This record gives sequence, structure tokens and C-alpha cells, in this order.
Amino acid sequence: MGRVTVETVSKRYRYRTHGRVNSRMIDLRLSPRGDDFWALRDITFQVGPGQMLGIVGPNGAGKSTLLRLVGGVGRPNSGSIRVSGKIGSLLELGSDFHPELTGRENVILSGVIAGLTRREVVARMEEIVDFAELRDFIDSPVRVYSSGMLLRLGFSVAVHTDPEILLIDEVLAVGDQSFRAKCLSRVEALRRRGCAILLVTHDTSLAVRMCDQAIWLHKGRIIEIGPADEVVSAYITSMDWETRRRTPVDWQTGLMDDGTQLRMMENRFGSMELQVTDVRLLDGMGHRCRRLQRGEQLRVEIDYVADEAVPAPNFGVVIRQENNTVLFDETMPAAQLGLVTVQGPGGIALNFDRLDLNAGEYHIDVGVYRHDWSYAYDYHWRVYPLTILATTEVKGAVNPPHAWERALPRIVGGS
Amino acid sequence: MTNLNVATRRLPVLRDLAVQLVIRDLKLRYRRTIVGLAWSFAFPVGQVIVLSFIFTLVLPTKVGKYSAFVSIGVLVWTWFQSSLVMASTAITGNRELVRRPGFPSSVLPVSVVGTNLILFLMAFPAMVLVVLYDGGRPGLSVSALPLVIAVQFLLTLGISYLVASLNVKFRDTQQMVTLLLLLFFFLTPIFYDTASVPAAYRWLYELNPFVVLLDAYRVTLLHGGIPNLLGLAEVAVLGAAMAVLGHVLFRRASYAFAEEV
Repeated sequence: MGRVTVETVSKRYRYRTHGRVNSRMIDLRLSPRGDDFWALRDITFQVGPGQMLGIVGPNGAGKSTLLRLVGGVGRPNSGSIRVSGKIGSLLELGSDFHPELTGRENVILSGVIAGLTRREVVARMEEIVDFAELRDFIDSPVRVYSSGMLLRLGFSVAVHTDPEILLIDEVLAVGDQSFRAKCLSRVEALRRRGCAILLVTHDTSLAVRMCDQAIWLHKGRIIEIGPADEVVSAYITSMDWETRRRTPVDWQTGLMDDGTQLRMMENRFGSMELQVTDVRLLDGMGHRCRRLQRGEQLRVEIDYVADEAVPAPNFGVVIRQENNTVLFDETMPAAQLGLVTVQGPGGIALNFDRLDLNAGEYHIDVGVYRHDWSYAYDYHWRVYPLTILATTEVKGAVNPPHAWERALPRIVGGS
Repeated sequence: MTNLNVATRRLPVLRDLAVQLVIRDLKLRYRRTIVGLAWSFAFPVGQVIVLSFIFTLVLPTKVGKYSAFVSIGVLVWTWFQSSLVMASTAITGNRELVRRPGFPSSVLPVSVVGTNLILFLMAFPAMVLVVLYDGGRPGLSVSALPLVIAVQFLLTLGISYLVASLNVKFRDTQQMVTLLLLLFFFLTPIFYDTASVPAAYRWLYELNPFVVLLDAYRVTLLHGGIPNLLGLAEVAVLGAAMAVLGHVLFRRASYAFAEEV
């Protein structure tokens, strides 16, 4: 049973001018003076067995530092950290793999590094290989693995080492959808077994879905701590605020092809470092559309342009009802599509194989966010209307294909 | 869980970890080279051949069975030297392990000294062949060698701990270690014997624990004699003290490793 108790922990880093040849060629001072920087201030929280704590906040808030301190890497300048239970971590997955060793050899090494005996790793080998879905490659050197394969193997080893405390940093955002789902359910299973889990993530919906408690860190301090949904919604509100703060009011009003106007702070928000230049809703034939039959295909194409290079942003598409209720909200980090930085024009598209919404009026929102989610570059709110037509009337929001029929009862306990 | 439980669970884990790191080192060291592990022996063999040539033909020495004599010296020293050279980068070169939650960094120097011990033991039979060919007469006293090896292991480990943790803060350590090892190659009776050192400097010279260690290897392997037990006991105490001291200082410094590597 794992437990983590963190009490009034502060961590200070010192920026040093080490290794730089300036006025003195040789620096013999034992503790060179430098600027202090508090990575963490007065952090207090507890995570008990079977609990999961989400840690949200912008980049540089101290999330990863906190995770490492809990992991015993480095020591706080003040306060105390008590950890009982074996620590496992999902940080920098596969970083301990050696390219020249085979998958199998790396699993042994990695498992032993994670705190198992060799015998224990060998006993779990098949399970680990199967989970990673790498049976065909396990005896090849890992230098031939794709980055996705490396992550799968790294993840698989980490979750098979019986951690009682699990530290997770962002890694759940990787891999394809089905593997990601498998990872999440595995983490959930560990939690049910009494593992105490700390999850650092930029994916706020994941934090709400998986965590009971959350803390919102900002510049090393806890802004809010409490039930995950409350903390996360407070954090999201602040991101909205940050986006509004950065929205240039004197930006010229945009005109979309169909005559819709994009007015800053009305239906368009964001810093404009990257601008969405066109959004096309296409039907199954590839024609622009504003109405679709229920169950038809929809393709949302987004064109954008970044004047200066920005790190790979996150793209998002939202479907809202007329009353603003969100029916669909999906984001995609461009990094997962192989982009590192974005400059100049570009495009991205989201395909719906079928849209089983009920008949009615909807809006498609499109947003592009900074890589760390701290604010939006460009968000188009209720700019793109979409009408869904249906021949069959139902109540509610969705209208998937359906049919009634008579059925036989299942006799329970009958003679 | 009580502390004892933790310790008994921890020990096999640490042992397996050290062993696996040694295996990794040995597997990787010369992977994708043609002669592979043989490269480890190229250096000592080359040294032995050149030194034998110089001190039997160019500047003849009065030390008998010289090839056997110098083989023992070079091989024993190689274990020590390679250990320290590798130990200086044991922490700085394993950033991803050191920064990993729950990873016991103190196992890294152990694996370094262990790797080089394995190489030493692999070369040992070849060395014995040279000894026999050169007319050496090992006696029953070779049964004391495991003890000598253990003492050398502790001594090397202790210094390795110091070197490994020092190099994290001062990368100068690496250069310093290389320099000191080169100087001590000449200040240690590797290719000449202690008797050649003028009596006036002998007391200083014999502070070097390798005087006793090398003597123990040679007495047993070349002449089947009894090693200097008192001297060995002293070096054993020194080795144990170094290992404990090194470990303590290493542990104390290790909290800063993650931030410095």
C-alpha cells in the first residue's frame, strides 16, 4: 500500500554561471553566487493508497520538479517528503533502454532497474511482451524500433513492476488510441490494487476523468487543491482568462468566405501568434456544407499560418448545441502528428466517419492552443454553423442508427 | 513493513541490479567490433610485450622471470586503472539512471569495479600460462588469492565512490584521475621491483597499498611463497575503511546528483 505525504516542501535552484568562460578562466569557488529561483514553495498534500492526484499548471510551474522530489531525486530545501512503498515511474519512458541490446535484454535490465529481481522479471517476460504488442520484434535490437514501439515497451515494463507509488509525467498522451486506452485501464487497475498515483498532465479532461484530487501549480505555488473537477475547472477558467488577456483588440476583423465576420473578443479569441485562416466543413463528397443528413460523414479542414515559428501547438474541435452544451471535444497535439515547430502556412483535418447527432442546429468551434495549453493562439467560437437533418425524430442529443424489435424474455429461475 | 523486511527484500534486488549492469557493460563494450571483448586484453598484452622487450633486451633488469613478473603487474594494475577511469564517469555518464525515481545510484560504482574484476578474472588463466611458461612455481598459497582480490576490490571500490561523486561537481576529476593513474603507473612496482627503490625513499614508497598487493600476487604465483600477511591485513583495513568512507560520502553527495548531471 503506497502513501505519499508532502509537507511544506520548498525547493530552490541556483542558476550558476558554471562552465561559461567569462572574466575568470578557472572558477574555484565552491558555491558560486547566483540567482536563486524557487521551483517549489510551501507544497503540502497527501496521496493515500488507491488515490490519484492530478497535477496541472502551465509549463515551468514546478510539476516535474515536484514529481522528481517525491521520487527521491534531489532533496527539498525545506519541508519533508515521506514516501512508503515501492516507487515506479512513467517518466522519460524507455530512456534506460540501450539501442544495441534486444528488446528482451532491455526488459530484463529495465525491470531490474525498476526494482525487481531478475527472476521476477523473467517470470513476467511474456506478459510484458504481450502487453507491449511486440512479440515479433522482441529479439531484435531496440535501435530498429520506432519511437512508438519504444514507448510501448517502456510503459509495459513500468506497469509490470508492482509499483505501490506511481509517478506519471505526460506519457499517457502517447501512442495510438487503442494502446492509450489500454494504458489508462492498466493504470486504473494499479490504482484499484492500492497504488498511490501522481499524474502530471496538460490534458485537463484526463485529469478530471482519472483523478479524485488535483492540485493546480503556478510558479511553484499551489493555487488550488481539492476535488479534481473543481480544481481543473478553475485552472481552465484561468487559461481562458490568459487567452483573453493576450487577445489583441485592435486586430482587424476577419472575413470568412461565407461572409461571416470574425471579431476579436466576440467570436474570436487568442494571441494571434498563429492564425486560423480558413475552416471548411466538408461532406462525404468533399463539398463545403452547412447541413448534413444524420449519419453522414463530416470532414473539418483547418488552414492556419504562423508568422513566427511556434512549438507544435494543440488543435481542438468542439461541437456545441445551440444552448452551448458541448457534445464533442477533442484535441490533438501536433507533436503527435510529427510536427516539431510550426511556421508559415499549414493545414490539419479531422474526419468523422459518421455524425450521429440528432436533428438540430449546432456549431463547430475550432481552436489552436499553445503547446503547454497555457492559452489559445486562435479560437473561433460559434463561427461555423452546422444543421443536422433527420427523417426520424428522437429526443436527446444523439441519434445513432436504431431499430425496435420484439424479443424473447430470458427466463430466470423458472422450472 | 519493518526495516529488516525492507532490507531483505532490497538486497537481492541490488545484487541483481549490479549483475545486470555488469552484463550490460560487458555485452555493449565492444559490440559491433570484429574482435569484441578481446580488445579489453589488447592493452595489457601490448604493454606486457613492450615492457618485456625493453627490460630484457634494451635495458636488462636483474628481476627474474620478467615476463611473468610484468604480466602480473600490468594485469593487476589494469583492473584498478580501468575501474577508476570508468568510475569517474559512472554518474555523469548515466544521467538517465541517476535521474530516475527510486534508482540506487550507489550501485553504479560497484558495477564498474565488478565489470573490470570480471575482465581481470577472464585474463587470469592466460596470465597463469605465462607464469608457468616463464618458470614460475605457484604453490598452495595461491589459495590466499581470493582474499587478496577481495581486498583490492574494496580498496578500488572505495576510491571509485570518491572519484564518481567528485566528478559530478568537478569535471576536472576525470582529467586528474587520468593524470594520477599515469604517474602512479611509474610509482608502483609494476615493471620493476620494490627492491630497486632507494632505501631512503622506501618508507614513502611503501605507503602505496599496491606495493603489498602486487607483492602478494607475485609471491604466491611466482614462488609459491607466503604473502606479507601483516601488510595485507593493513591494506584490508584500509580497503574496508575506504569502501565505507567512500560509500558514506557518496550517499551524502548523491542527493545533488540529479541536479548536477
